[in-house]
Amino acid sequence: MAATFASKCSRVGRSLWGGLGNNLSGLLSASHETACNHFLSQQRTFIQMRTVLKVVDNSGAKKVMCIQALKGKKGARLGDTIIASVKEAYPNGKVKKGKVVYGVVVRAAMQRGRCDGSEVKFDDNAVVLVDKQGQPIGTRVFGPVPHELRQKKHVKILSLAGHIA
Amino acid sequence: MRLDKCWFCSSTLYPGHGTQFVRNDAKIFRFCRSKCHKNFKMKRNPRKVKWTKAYRRLHGKDMTQDFAFEFERKHNRPERYDRNVTENTLKAIRTIDKVRVTREIKHIERRMTGKKAKELREAQKELEQNISLVKAPAVLREDPSLTLPIKLKVSQKQAEAHLMEE
Repeated sequence: MAATFASKCSRVGRSLWGGLGNNLSGLLSASHETACNHFLSQQRTFIQMRTVLKVVDNSGAKKVMCIQALKGKKGARLGDTIIASVKEAYPNGKVKKGKVVYGVVVRAAMQRGRCDGSEVKFDDNAVVLVDKQGQPIGTRVFGPVPHELRQKKHVKILSLAGHIA
Repeated sequence: MRLDKCWFCSSTLYPGHGTQFVRNDAKIFRFCRSKCHKNFKMKRNPRKVKWTKAYRRLHGKDMTQDFAFEFERKHNRPERYDRNVTENTLKAIRTIDKVRVTREIKHIERRMTGKKAKELREAQKELEQNISLVKAPAVLREDPSLTLPIKLKVSQKQAEAHLMEE
């Protein structure tokens, strides 16, 4: 009951409930009754402040926390750029822990509509670190990337990618 | 424009419908509607779910090997645009579809032949053996109007004849 309320709210509103909806679903996962169907009614939302993302290039960082989503009141989506702080890094890498970096979201668990009317979603939230000009810091990209990046002019990342979804 | 198949139920995905889920190993799962998507999330095996094409093909309910399926194989080589080829392909799609549909219907009909006769035979047998559940056999013997038509009358007459002989 509360789960459907939360999901309905986040589907309708999405503006204010973005952060709150996550909290509610977090609370519900602690309770016993919705433990099994939590993953079915899970509502994926934007990438916002405090979202931890996986880094999928060889720039040296492992985990990065979003501190600002450039463009977008509610948060960043697939293909957007974010400002992030490096939380976890490999010992010898180009970026160190605590550094503030820019990143391009290459995989998002929230579905994004394509121009033909279908929707795509990925398994996790992943980011490729870039510099202020938009050129990737690393030299390799792991995992699939969407071809929404072409429209956003991140051609370099597409050329480095192994799979284009 | 490409018409894909839903990963779960194998129905065609027209443009503007469905969602696709990209797993981290770059495998793409396309779903025609949220019903199929939710079943996928529940980790159900489509080969075990009765209403999917995969189950029907596996259990022989639908046609599996046919010449008409060869035309639908997915090719990854791009074709150079030729107006005549496109026209002929569009015409061919229509006729092949008709042929395929009629063959599938025939297959199901063939599978169902003899089912009605079998059901009738089983029903008659059940009537003969278990009529005592409905009415006691002594009552049936006393009042011949209560007996059922066809076979039971004959057997009842035989029973009477046996009684007479005794």
